[in-house]
Amino acid sequence: MKAKLPWIFLALGTLLLVGGSYMGLFVAPAERYMGDVQRIMYVHVPTAWNWMLAVLFAFGCAIAFLFTNNLKWDSRMEAGIEVGVLLGFLLCCQGAIWAKPTWGVWWDWDPRLTSVAVLLVASLGILALRGFVDEPPRRAVWSAVATIIASVDLPIVYFSVKWWNSLHQPQSTPETVASAFHVPLRVNAFGVLFLMIGFIMLRTRVAALRLKREVDVPQMHQEAGELA
Amino acid sequence: MSGVVQGGWEFVIAAYTITALGFLIYGASLVMRLRELKEDD
Repeated sequence: MKAKLPWIFLALGTLLLVGGSYMGLFVAPAERYMGDVQRIMYVHVPTAWNWMLAVLFAFGCAIAFLFTNNLKWDSRMEAGIEVGVLLGFLLCCQGAIWAKPTWGVWWDWDPRLTSVAVLLVASLGILALRGFVDEPPRRAVWSAVATIIASVDLPIVYFSVKWWNSLHQPQSTPETVASAFHVPLRVNAFGVLFLMIGFIMLRTRVAALRLKREVDVPQMHQEAGELA
Repeated sequence: MSGVVQGGWEFVIAAYTITALGFLIYGASLVMRLRELKEDD
């Protein structure tokens, strides 16, 4: 059952995302000022929420690793960071596509966009750092510390639209979004959430298998040396 | 100028396509990586 769990999440996520997107594209009404372009919200906002959750997950794993020194948290952290990079990249693409017809530009160095870009680049940097360090315990400590430092940007992303006079609209919540748009937004939010969970579970397996191989190889060398 | 965005379906289609492709390609890459590692194991 445990082996099938990621696939169940991926299947559920796909179903919800297809259903929610259908409602968002063909059932929900067009927004008064943005017209049909506003339909991008049904993928953009769920991606943003779940990107923040993925970063928060990686942050939690980094803290858990530093407290327990257990490398399973390092594998989970690696998964959280990589899935966060995927969601962050999609978020920036969707945002740029939505910005062009509404703001007139693909990109603006507005506080929300800039803070998202900083966190995305920092996450890519952490993945690169992991590629440069061969020793698993040292790699885990360095990337846990880097993840905690990078996560400081997360509250800045969240509150940027409140703290500064931003071009980006305020947070999308049931209070700021018209009730006609709630259902596709919520269905897609759960769809992306389940996809994210499934991806993180599978990516954790990849990281754990790689780690097992890395730890096994030095042991084999050591055993070979002892035999010689 | 009415202040209302006209048309724009091409942007909507682009955003949904990029999202679907991103999830599909990443999912496929995970399956391939997992398969390779399990074969080596």
